[in-house]
Amino acid sequence: MSNIIIGIGDLGASKGQDDILKTFALGSCVAVILLDPKQRAAGMVHIALPEAKINPAKAQERPGYFADTGIPALLREMKKLGCQPNARGLMVKLAGGAKVMDPNDTFNIGKRNILAAKKALWAFGLGPVAEDVGGNFSRTVAISLATGDVILSSPGRPNWKL
Amino acid sequence: MATQDKREDILRAAEKAPLLSPSAQRLLQITSAREHELMEIVAVVKCDAHLTVRVLKIVNSAAFGLLYPISSIDRAVSYLGERMVVGIALNDCAAHLFDKQLDGYESERGSLWRHDLQAAIASREVAQRARVEINPDLAFTAGLLHDLGKALISDYLRGTCAGLLAEIEQNQVADYLEGERHLIGIDHTEAGSALARNWKLAEVLQMAIAHHHNPGAAPPEHRPLVYAVHLGDIIAMMGGCGTGADTLRYPLDQGYGAFFDLGGEDLAAIMLDVQEEFAKIDTSLAETKEN
Repeated sequence: MSNIIIGIGDLGASKGQDDILKTFALGSCVAVILLDPKQRAAGMVHIALPEAKINPAKAQERPGYFADTGIPALLREMKKLGCQPNARGLMVKLAGGAKVMDPNDTFNIGKRNILAAKKALWAFGLGPVAEDVGGNFSRTVAISLATGDVILSSPGRPNWKL
Repeated sequence: MATQDKREDILRAAEKAPLLSPSAQRLLQITSAREHELMEIVAVVKCDAHLTVRVLKIVNSAAFGLLYPISSIDRAVSYLGERMVVGIALNDCAAHLFDKQLDGYESERGSLWRHDLQAAIASREVAQRARVEINPDLAFTAGLLHDLGKALISDYLRGTCAGLLAEIEQNQVADYLEGERHLIGIDHTEAGSALARNWKLAEVLQMAIAHHHNPGAAPPEHRPLVYAVHLGDIIAMMGGCGTGADTLRYPLDQGYGAFFDLGGEDLAAIMLDVQEEFAKIDTSLAETKEN
């Protein structure tokens, strides 16, 4: 079994049946998880910000950083693993996008990340079948390739399945 | 142990905590003063062989990607900036606190230092965008020190996370800070303040530690910097760099609007800069520690 760690702004995809894709402490970042049951493949991108226009150079260097560049980049990785080019058959799950305790929404980057991720997914005709987003807590995500399970964890609470 | 006894135990521990190294103390004194020069910092580093070696190793680490190595301490200090020198000195002499595993918050070892470093970088970024004058390097130092109280109280909070989170969700306590006070009679800001008094830190640093969750209560002359640390702390938590179960469990004080114009785009830009700077500093410190 090998753990594939996906850092902030990184993405990864695998077909290794013993692999676990993992991303730590999302905070206001969003993890977009793609599962292909037919190919037994999974991919994940750890998105930090909604739009690449804020820093196009960064988006070139690390497309996973932004929702609008990260999702197409992750789909390209999935395609390399044999997933269908039109993204058909992919199952999408979303996690993260936490917010600070704030009645105003200025600091709500989490919400903007979630909306931008959904918008970028729609462009490929995709939408989440499950999501665990928002709230005032940071999530860690682990995807088991063997079972296809997506397990979420956060300090102070028992793990749960998405 | 009764709540009152825990409180007194913690305050005693803060009073008895080992002092900072003479170099770190002197660096904090110099950099907290309104007027100071880089040469004063260079002089302190030159008198401390261990610190000299660390500073030179860090400036020449792969993370900084220098074309030609720097061998003079004057150039190293001016390249790294005073905040990094202060950070290196604190990282060395208060490692017993920064590296403590915060079991009471169910967080991984190293998370307190990473949170403090990221909050420090964010506090400085925010300070640079203020409408009033805030010393950005001092905001960095205050950010580094703001949560040290957690290292003092964490052991007394063991096994309390799940219950405390449930109380916050049921609105029985307002936030994690109030929860800490209910459980052990003291919160991490008060414990940190006691430590800051023991270390005889400058008043502005003491105020940042005491009021980083309640910046409106800081004396007016220190309020802008305390707000910068308040926001820096929150930005670090949003970036996924918290200290465990308490992450994002503190309210944002809306009073920041008096000193900062921060829209959603500014915030995104700050978060991006903070992540880049954090990765660089964290790597350079880790690389040079192993050697």
